[in-house]
Amino acid sequence: MSHHKLEVKNLNFAYPDGHKAINGISFGIYHGESVGIVGANGAGKSTLLLMLMGVLFPSQGEVIIGDVRLTKKTLALIRQRLGMVFQNPDDQLFMTTVYDDAAFGPRNLGLDEKEVEDRVMKSLDMVGISHLKDRAPYKLSGGEKRAAAIATVLSMQPDILIMDEPTSSLDPKSRRKVMELLKSFEHTKIITSHDLDMVFEICERTIVLKEGKVAADGLTSEILSNEELMQSCCLEVPLALQGCPLCKAKKKNI
Amino acid sequence: MSSIGNSLYNLGHLDDLARKQTIIHKLHPFVKLIVTLVFLTMVASFGRYEIARLLPLLFYPVIIINLAELPIAPILKRILIVEPFVIGIGILNPLFEKQTFVLGGLTLSTGWITFLSIFIKSILTVFVVLLLVATTGMDKLAAALRMMKIPKLFILQLLLTYRYISVLLEEAQRMLRSYVLRSPLQKGVHIRDWGSFAGQLVLRTFDRAQRIYQAMCVRGFTGEYNTGEGMKLKIADILYLGGWMLFFAAVRLYDIPMLIGTLLTGVIK
Repeated sequence: MSHHKLEVKNLNFAYPDGHKAINGISFGIYHGESVGIVGANGAGKSTLLLMLMGVLFPSQGEVIIGDVRLTKKTLALIRQRLGMVFQNPDDQLFMTTVYDDAAFGPRNLGLDEKEVEDRVMKSLDMVGISHLKDRAPYKLSGGEKRAAAIATVLSMQPDILIMDEPTSSLDPKSRRKVMELLKSFEHTKIITSHDLDMVFEICERTIVLKEGKVAADGLTSEILSNEELMQSCCLEVPLALQGCPLCKAKKKNI
Repeated sequence: MSSIGNSLYNLGHLDDLARKQTIIHKLHPFVKLIVTLVFLTMVASFGRYEIARLLPLLFYPVIIINLAELPIAPILKRILIVEPFVIGIGILNPLFEKQTFVLGGLTLSTGWITFLSIFIKSILTVFVVLLLVATTGMDKLAAALRMMKIPKLFILQLLLTYRYISVLLEEAQRMLRSYVLRSPLQKGVHIRDWGSFAGQLVLRTFDRAQRIYQAMCVRGFTGEYNTGEGMKLKIADILYLGGWMLFFAAVRLYDIPMLIGTLLTGVIK
């Protein structure tokens, strides 16, 4: 299925204040892949995601989704294929009920109300919050808000899911729930995060960004375990790969 | 700080009330909007000295609040919030108006009557608008406004403002909290910090607005705010509309308190 392909060619972007956030990035992501994008603060992760969604346009280079180049004209088409979950659910949930929020996207696609309801209920079911459908989003807990934000995107039935820090500011149990949820999706996934353990579990491929450039791109298991690379990019080897702190202490004692 | 928390809670409370499922809540939002608008025009249409003729109009909010099973205390509290402003506007009337009348041996300025009339009118108008929101909810109200051909830009503005008041308040509350914690010896925000405080809030609001707009665009927003399929008018809606229109017409055409008065005195005689 070629339309699940996402290609980025020599992407450049500078903010109006002259700060060059993205500096010649190229990669391709294919059907069913789950890709983590990691990097230090200010490495360009969020900017890159906004460019994939056509919220920001590159000063140079191009984004190609399926066989369509992302331009202002193809924006509507491309945004039907890509769904993005923002880092802060409060930026995403603005309707008075969870249901209406999940219905916002499908209604914008001009679907009839029956189909909208189908899609909304299906997506709320998928994330396990159909019982919250009449609640006001701002009254939900952090984990519920995150699930609701994901549902609002799922209801648009995108081919590719893009997530900015899906596990940030969640308690361990909610984080685990969101991770299980992400694992269960068959979509092509692009996830940015500082939660390297999450990336390690969910993404088979990782792209490391450093100062707006791709510092590494390959198998997650190889990249995240490369201590030298991680340190040079202000990152750390995931805790899961670091060995037990207690045992290590014991070893030292011996 | 607690007052911000309280207002947050109060904001949500009105939304919760709007989700009830009573006869009034189930009525078509458009009909409720029209009845409310006619009511407001009615209240405004009576002259400054026609206090008695305003009284039958109180019948409307009393009926609605009962049928909609709304708690009276929180609604009354909200009405009280407006009253200081209304009193501020009307309190000078007794001083300005030169004419007088005699009541139980006391000579009073007619300004007291006009003041009372402003007071009653404000209570009536604020009361019914609160009832409208508490029985309809903002989103349905927006759909009703849209049916009235109000430009979508205004409606969008209204809805988003309503939704994000709480986020803005939270933002302000966080800023205030961190300020207070780092200035234990003073009370409130020092005047020299007002500028940066307000400025910060505006900048944060801009940032937030930008992100929300991006999130909306990403989900296919093109300027049209779709609130779902329009509800159809039912017979109950038409009866409701017709009933109140008749009542309002009667209140406007006949002096009901006077009629009841003559009726009673007639019976006594």
